Amino acid sequence: MMASLLSGTKATSFLNGPQLWFANRGTGFVLLMLLTLATMLGVLSTARVSPRLWPRMLSQGLHRNVSLLAVTFLAAHVATAVADTFVDIRWYNAFVPFSGTYKPVWLGLGALGLDLLIAVTATSLLRHRMSHRPWRAIHVMAYAAWGLGLLHGLQMGTDAASVWGAGLNYGCIAVVLLAVLARLGLLIRPKLVTS
Amino acid sequence: MSHTLAVDWPACKAHGICAEILPEVVSLDQWGFPIVHEPVTRDLLDLARSTVKACPTLALRLTQPPKRH
Amino acid sequence: MTAVTTVLPIAPQGSAPTTAAPRPIAGNDVGLDPVVAQGPALLAGIAQGPGLQAHRHRVGPVPRPSADKLVKLAREVDLRGRGGAGFPAAIKLASAHRRKAVVVVNASEGEPASRKDAALMALAPHVVLDGAAVVAHALGTREVHIVVPSEVPSIRVGVEKALHARVADGERLKWELHDAAPRFVAGEASAVLELLAGRENLPVTTWAPQAISGHRRRPTLLSNAETFAHLGHLARVGSDGYAAFGTAAEPGTTLLTLRGDGWDPVVREVAYGTPLADILTASEMGQPLLLGGYHGTWLKPAQMKALNVSRADIAEAGATLGAGVVLPLSQGWCPLVRTTALVDYLAGQSARRCGPCRNGLPAMAGALRDLVHRGGPVAPVGELCGLVAGRGACAHPDGTARLVTSMLTRFPEEVDLHSLGECRGGRDEVFA
Repeated sequence: MMASLLSGTKATSFLNGPQLWFANRGTGFVLLMLLTLATMLGVLSTARVSPRLWPRMLSQGLHRNVSLLAVTFLAAHVATAVADTFVDIRWYNAFVPFSGTYKPVWLGLGALGLDLLIAVTATSLLRHRMSHRPWRAIHVMAYAAWGLGLLHGLQMGTDAASVWGAGLNYGCIAVVLLAVLARLGLLIRPKLVTS
Repeated sequence: MSHTLAVDWPACKAHGICAEILPEVVSLDQWGFPIVHEPVTRDLLDLARSTVKACPTLALRLTQPPKRH
Repeated sequence: MTAVTTVLPIAPQGSAPTTAAPRPIAGNDVGLDPVVAQGPALLAGIAQGPGLQAHRHRVGPVPRPSADKLVKLAREVDLRGRGGAGFPAAIKLASAHRRKAVVVVNASEGEPASRKDAALMALAPHVVLDGAAVVAHALGTREVHIVVPSEVPSIRVGVEKALHARVADGERLKWELHDAAPRFVAGEASAVLELLAGRENLPVTTWAPQAISGHRRRPTLLSNAETFAHLGHLARVGSDGYAAFGTAAEPGTTLLTLRGDGWDPVVREVAYGTPLADILTASEMGQPLLLGGYHGTWLKPAQMKALNVSRADIAEAGATLGAGVVLPLSQGWCPLVRTTALVDYLAGQSARRCGPCRNGLPAMAGALRDLVHRGGPVAPVGELCGLVAGRGACAHPDGTARLVTSMLTRFPEEVDLHSLGECRGGRDEVFA
């Protein structure tokens, strides 16, 4: 559709050229960082850390906003991939895992992650209209979505090989690992909080 | 007629966010569980609704005192 | 008062023989068969055995009053629930009188010291079942659930037999039996509904009364087994017949479980207004009394002298009949030591679902142990009582706090003595 709106050599070269590809890689990395941050904030908002150091509802609010921001970057990441005509990625490849022709497995992992994030986002926006246990069961899958996104990113492009790319990936892995350990109660000793 | 903040005790896991948002109504005991020590007056109603939404385990409800027969 | 005593043929699995020496009561001492005395109303036919034929021969067919009539009768005699809370039966009936109601007979008797429901279900099951049938007919439902204690299998066997007899006799009700877990809180109303729903037999938060929204969100009339017995009897004899015993203000009778240390529990049907002095020995009247069960309140001998088995009198004395358990303290025993042992048991019986109970009751038990056995401070005990009350899905912490508070208010001199490391009772009680 975009191709029909923008006709002419300049437009086709844009759709064919490196800008969309840069945008796709950029949004991908920012997305990974946002999801990492969101995971960390999610853990912080329920960890029983003293509120004098870090108010819990602040984490809760940030977690929500960062997550929603991540979703918009996810949309941009998908849009740039689909619009880019250099590789053949259709819009439905983003939602139906392993349905693509270009690197179907690694793209498919990303699609799987996206599907999970749709479920997490939808249930979280409707949290008050559903009972807590099913909401929580779906929400926990956010960890899986993060992991799938990481794997997707590692193999889709070549940035993972570069110094900065590898550094970002390892950094994000470290943060989420810390978050998981904290969530399992192995790091932050749950201090009983009194007001 | 003022409302009451009611706790679903089996659901409460002592996260303590309620006491952060609404200290005028909720304080915490030595184990981190909420003590609802005041009714929710009209001026606190909006904050109380936010508190109910903010509970990570949805353990809070805003109830009106029942009419006596 | 002469009575035909019938030894209850309850044989719980692994029952321990009754010891001759005084045996302190703490915890779930299932295994002591109660001695049941014949009574004037509910227990009038126990000498003829638990069979249906004898029952029908004695009382006739199941009466079929309408819901309005039954509510009117219950209101006229101010019939209260016998499960411990004493809620007016008329209000419950009126609330549950809607479409697709469900009847639940709670015979689980989670209170370890109580034997009255066991006595009814084993010796006079049809008195209870007639009452359930009366209520079911009045509410226009066929669905009746019966909850029996799992730790006394003979009760279930007896109830099954009684139900088969009724079905064979042509009664058209859909009965369903459930086994309650062997815990103190298993008999709590929300815990019973959880059991019926196929989930764990533990309390949950109730947002609407069961009579309005209970089992499967249907109006549920959940009451103690004895309450149903009273309703059946009331429907049969009318309010005048019901008021043949008791007082004008409190007509009727009630079942009590009396037990001191070292002897078998006795279940006795007592008319309201009966002086305590008539049902206790002189020695027991001179000792402190725990009335109502493990969630009950202490009474001092001075209060007991002129006290009758009357809701109003007992309320004025600052106590309640509760589940009808009467626990006189043996001579030489200390009420503080007894209370400490009971609170230890009650703390262990927490369902552990609600933070204040899960944390507060063990803390209360510890603080009480410190006070009573190690001369510790009094203040933490009272504070914890205030902290746990009203902060849970069920009334377990409230009842425990009530017990401890009554101990503190009734026996201030003993409390002072203990905080100095002394005890008037002077006996070490070792509880299993």
